[in-house]
Amino acid sequence: MVKRKLGALEKVEADLPNLQHKIRRDPKSYIEDFRAQHYQYESHREIFMAAPAATTETGLISLRELIDFLAHVADCYPEILKDFPQQLIDILTQHHLILQPELREKIVGSLVLLRKKELMDSATLLQTLFPILISTPSKTLRALLFQKILMDLRSSNAKTTNHKLNRTMQTVLYNLVTSDRTSSKGLWAIKLTRELWKRQIWTDAKAVEVMKEASLADNEKVIVGGVRFFLGGDKEREEMEDESSDEEAIDLGKVKHQVGINKKTRKKSRAVEKAKATVKRRERKKNQPHPLNFSALHLLHDPQGYAESLFSKHLQNTKSKLNLDQKLLVLQLVTRLVGLHKLHIMHLYSYFQKYLTPRQPSVTSFLASLAQASHDLVPPDDLEPLVQKIANEFVSEASASEVASAGLNAIREICVRQPLAMNETLLQDLVMYRKSKDKGVMMAGRGLLSLFREVNPEMLKRRDRGKDASIGLRSGERKEKRFAEQEAGGIEGLELLEKWKEEERRKRRAEKGLPSDGEDDEDVDDEEADWAAWNVEDDEDSDDSGDWIQVESDVEIELSDSEDEKDGPPTKKAKSNEDTKAETKPEEETAEAKFSKLATTRILTPADLAKLQELRTEAAVNALVPGSKGATRHRDDPLTAEEIEGLAALSAGKATREERIAHAKEGKTDRSEHKSVTAKRKERKEDQGKSTTNKEKARKKNFLMTLGKAKSKNKRSLVQTRAVLKAHQDRAKRGGRRGNVGAVA
Amino acid sequence: MGSSAKKKKEKQKDFQKAKLKVGKAKGKPENFTDTSFKTKGITLTQQSLTLTAPSTQTQFTHHVSLLNSKSDTQRRDSLAHLTTHISSKPTSQPLPQPVSTLLPTLSPLILDASTNVRTQLLKLLRALPPADVEDHVVQLMPYIRAGMTHLAADIRVTAIEVLSWLVEIAGDAVVSCAGGWIKTLNCFLSVLGWHTEESSKWSSNRAAFGKAGAKGRPMVKVLGVLAEFLQAGIGEEDEDEDVVMGGAEVESGYGSGDGGFPIVQTEVHMVPKTAQPYVYLNLFGSPRDEEGEMYETREERFRVFKSRFLVAVERGVESARQDGGEVGRASSAVSKVLKEARGVDWEG
Repeated sequence: MVKRKLGALEKVEADLPNLQHKIRRDPKSYIEDFRAQHYQYESHREIFMAAPAATTETGLISLRELIDFLAHVADCYPEILKDFPQQLIDILTQHHLILQPELREKIVGSLVLLRKKELMDSATLLQTLFPILISTPSKTLRALLFQKILMDLRSSNAKTTNHKLNRTMQTVLYNLVTSDRTSSKGLWAIKLTRELWKRQIWTDAKAVEVMKEASLADNEKVIVGGVRFFLGGDKEREEMEDESSDEEAIDLGKVKHQVGINKKTRKKSRAVEKAKATVKRRERKKNQPHPLNFSALHLLHDPQGYAESLFSKHLQNTKSKLNLDQKLLVLQLVTRLVGLHKLHIMHLYSYFQKYLTPRQPSVTSFLASLAQASHDLVPPDDLEPLVQKIANEFVSEASASEVASAGLNAIREICVRQPLAMNETLLQDLVMYRKSKDKGVMMAGRGLLSLFREVNPEMLKRRDRGKDASIGLRSGERKEKRFAEQEAGGIEGLELLEKWKEEERRKRRAEKGLPSDGEDDEDVDDEEADWAAWNVEDDEDSDDSGDWIQVESDVEIELSDSEDEKDGPPTKKAKSNEDTKAETKPEEETAEAKFSKLATTRILTPADLAKLQELRTEAAVNALVPGSKGATRHRDDPLTAEEIEGLAALSAGKATREERIAHAKEGKTDRSEHKSVTAKRKERKEDQGKSTTNKEKARKKNFLMTLGKAKSKNKRSLVQTRAVLKAHQDRAKRGGRRGNVGAVA
Repeated sequence: MGSSAKKKKEKQKDFQKAKLKVGKAKGKPENFTDTSFKTKGITLTQQSLTLTAPSTQTQFTHHVSLLNSKSDTQRRDSLAHLTTHISSKPTSQPLPQPVSTLLPTLSPLILDASTNVRTQLLKLLRALPPADVEDHVVQLMPYIRAGMTHLAADIRVTAIEVLSWLVEIAGDAVVSCAGGWIKTLNCFLSVLGWHTEESSKWSSNRAAFGKAGAKGRPMVKVLGVLAEFLQAGIGEEDEDEDVVMGGAEVESGYGSGDGGFPIVQTEVHMVPKTAQPYVYLNLFGSPRDEEGEMYETREERFRVFKSRFLVAVERGVESARQDGGEVGRASSAVSKVLKEARGVDWEG
């Protein structure tokens, strides 16, 4: 064996890890040794502090090792080491610029370790690490510190939200962003906030406020960071949630089964315990109500003021240093705010005027932003010239087909939001493009046509109106919507819930053999059942729901007003109403009372709300499947440049092979390559960790190995053959070599 | 199985012997790598070409730089070279490099892992002119203390020896420098294991961590040095010189106001003789705590000693006396110093 090279401490047969191990087992006996090492550390620290830059290599190594050692055993001697955290903090804050990288990392790691051992509090740790994170020029140290800070914030928010810590940290970040608007240090605030937002640790308005200030900074990077957060932070959060929710499932039955078979060790029993705990935790998590998270755009305090200052500071300001891409980002945010909160910014629409030419780079983004910025409270006088300009610049026979289709799409998107922006002559002119030879332009023209058949068929020529619209016009059902006219709203997805309930009822009646759409006192039972299922997890607080049943059994409850409906969740304020049942009967016949009857006739129980949520997500998922068109878009979703470009791809000529393949694949759900049923079965078996059958083994056996037996078979005498056959038969009766006689008997 | 003739032949191919022929070069082995290259010129980056032999001055500097070398034999040899150079030169001549530049490279060697280096270091230190070392005690002390509490017993012993040497040549400076009194005493207690009552009992299972040196011998040595240290710190003063003004000898010509009426306390007005007379003000360093404070007079030191260490030391000495043998004898020196110190304290 080659002789191993020995380190200095190994030579003397005593190293710190060894001592550490012994101390952890028996702190009291080794106190003298520990004390010696503590003095040792003190001396080395003294040497180091006297000349931090000039200390020798070996001195640094021993200081590092001693710090590590002390941090690991600190919880055994809290009295002796009460100054230790402060000393480390001092070294780090005073000398982090000249510290040797390894020592620096060790000190940071030791501080975090001390925090884990509860020898110092989170606030102190963060107050130490954060200033260094901002000021240090070393990239590795920054990465380390960022990770540690994030980890500490996560762990201190793991069990319950640590409001105090969060508040202080958010204040620190806010001050960092607002104190010096020209510096790029605000980036750290952005990174931290975004990460914590993504992990749903910070979900409050204060975090949004930090980002808002960041996007109003003077440094381009900080601005872009803040703006990007508003544009993409919530989506990121959703994705993160999806990711975490579909972790691999634990098959508890399998685990238990394996324990029954394999050798029983303490490790394995612990693994079972762990699996049980995980399953239990997941169950509980599943039953918990969905956390109510508002998107960042909704948590803004003063959206009007914010959008105005963004617009005037970064877009209108000629001295703004942002490049086109960055400006586009800001514009997207401003227009999204305008569209979402229905704001009005004076010069926003005239600002668009100069960018609406086909030669403008990334004009589709501008078009999308414009469409996003229009809502039904924008005066049509503001939008009309823009629509006119788009029509003039983009939509003509001479322009390229992509340009024309983009223009038409943009006009359509604007008119979806504010139909009054269109005048009759222009519309009739544009609708003619549905006859275009180019497919993209044709589709865009048709889109516009069908839109106006819905919203204002009167503006179309008589022959363009179509059957439904003509009938609707005649019956007076379809009218032009006046400026700022509001529709009575409802609860989103409520009709889905109603439909589902109806189906359920029908099913139940079918089970009982009654006519599927009868109306009788069954309803009372239904409702009682509903009230019984007040909670999603009913058995957890059954005493609670029991109370509710008693109250409800003979009285029906109605929601007070319909003005609550617009906000979504119904109030719990309820009053009894005797004659609701009588009312419900005629109403069910009328077609127009589709929505809100459910909400006005009964209280939605938490179980109902959960179902409603489920139906909503289901509908959203269905909308995402490419086959089904006409998906309803959420108010929060942005309008993208791709949507404006629309089917321009169709008019771009022949697609390449890859594109065609990708297009064909779009509709299909992802599935693995084609395989035979047997192969699939075999694969599944292998996945489950099962072995092959004897038959398969026999089939796979090497040919040469079977030769010998085959030869000898030929040479067998008749008697031998008989014996073999008989034995085989017996065995078959018995059920194999091992036999299952015992099992049968 | 390789039964076929073809396979056999293929196998044989691998082990064919190359035939040697007279007059022809031997074939290259299979793993031969061609390392030849073409170049216009060859430059050796590190070469020192001097026509004259290096002067002793440069040799000295060179060896000082070699003290950081990785190999311990190199370090030892350099130390030996420096030692002979210093001891062989006439005392009137100054050192090639001042002690203040030598010490920063020498002091880390107290903690060196190799025994040879440490013994050689001790020799070198002894060769240094004592007067020069006196001013740099402060820099040296942390290393000595680190050595005293080192995991390795050998290093502890060396550190004790170095301390013994330092006390011998500059006892006053050692005990009165910043942190020199309390911290060093703490280290002594830690080395001897006298900190707490149960750890000082002989019956306590004091697992001396690390490789123990020769049994009993280190203990004797430590006790001896402790006695010296205490003697320097709280023992009877030989002369009634002013400690505040440094331990320099007072010439009879000045001092004690011999000069007549206007010159009552001459030495107060004289230029101080120590290197850093106002260091006790601690104008530039970080603020000190109780342990790192300077204790400059015997009274101060004794007060601190009495309040913090006296009980532990007496207990330790007692148990050492009960041990008997060499250790017991060595402990008697310590107890003698303690007794004297008490006596002085009662007087004062």
